[in-house]
Amino acid sequence: MRTDFRHNSCNKPILDAVFIRSEKPSIMAKSDDLEQIIVGCKKGDSRCLTQIVDMYASRCYAYFYRLTGDRTVSDDLLSELFVKLTEKFSSYKGGSFEGWLFRIASNIFHDYLRGKHRRTKLLDARKTQLELEITEPRRSDTEGIDKLQVQLVRLDADTKELIMLRFYSQLSFKEIAEIRSEPIGTTLSKLHRGLKRLRELME
Amino acid sequence: MNGQNQENLKELFEQFFAPEQAASAVEDVRKAEQILRENPAPEPDELLIADIKWQIEEMLAVRKPAWTFRTVAYRVAVAAAIIVVAAISIQLLKKGPEKSKIENVSMIPRKIWETNDISTADTDLALLTAEIRQVEDEFLTLELGERRGNGERIVGELEMQFIAISSNFWEG
Repeated sequence: MRTDFRHNSCNKPILDAVFIRSEKPSIMAKSDDLEQIIVGCKKGDSRCLTQIVDMYASRCYAYFYRLTGDRTVSDDLLSELFVKLTEKFSSYKGGSFEGWLFRIASNIFHDYLRGKHRRTKLLDARKTQLELEITEPRRSDTEGIDKLQVQLVRLDADTKELIMLRFYSQLSFKEIAEIRSEPIGTTLSKLHRGLKRLRELME
Repeated sequence: MNGQNQENLKELFEQFFAPEQAASAVEDVRKAEQILRENPAPEPDELLIADIKWQIEEMLAVRKPAWTFRTVAYRVAVAAAIIVVAAISIQLLKKGPEKSKIENVSMIPRKIWETNDISTADTDLALLTAEIRQVEDEFLTLELGERRGNGERIVGELEMQFIAISSNFWEG
């Protein structure tokens, strides 16, 4: 597809930028295109922002869904993410856009966890209870849930979040370690253990 | 962009694990990622995406007048500031430097600076000079009087005169 940059980059069809689900999610917009779209977003161009939605909605939705196991909650979190993104775009100072986006996504997920925690008043055994409450699929819904989602419940929340961050954000380990404010060795070690466990569960 | 496509997993793991462990870790990561790819998460509903886009449009539509108002307000404030500064500068330039209301005056009479004959230039000094001369004369008389035997009286008078001169001098 040829691109005419004399026009606003946000008018450009984004077929080449759409995440193709059957492939590895690294096939995204070319970095030049993305930069132009980001410039448009910073200026408050709604077409550029809707392009960002088209480009990243699938990955972000999958990230939320794998963490919560609930489509309704994921719908809400995805909406919140893009609303926050629109509000905060002026504060994006460059660097990895995916890193910035998934940092916001991670914060939204943690806010959700905290809200859920307050609502359910699970003051004791907080982490374990949250895992069960949030991620365990309801019995009536299990038919529609894939095997992976069922097995993910067996992983602890932190490891699960790390795996999802790695897979859906497509960030490097260094970037993930920065987002999580922990040494890269810790991130590598946790992720390796988690993925190994997930592999064992799935086999 | 520094994504994972540019990342060399083997090298990265070898920084923290032994070579055999690193190779195994890389293999684990690749296989687990393969599992995640083979089990895709559900897609967001198209209606949800449409709703998000609508929300964004609405937010931007609400925000735009605010931006315009902010821009106008900012420009008006800058223009007003320039006008005020210019007006103050013009006022200051018209007035020129203000004269000081405090005058510096010398404690020493001007005549003293203007003539070498201090005693004729100032009346008080002329009087003082005359008195000093009188005292000199009386000293001379005293010297002569001593020889004549009435020195004590004259010394007393002289002392009185000195006191008087001294007090006159300090009173100005």
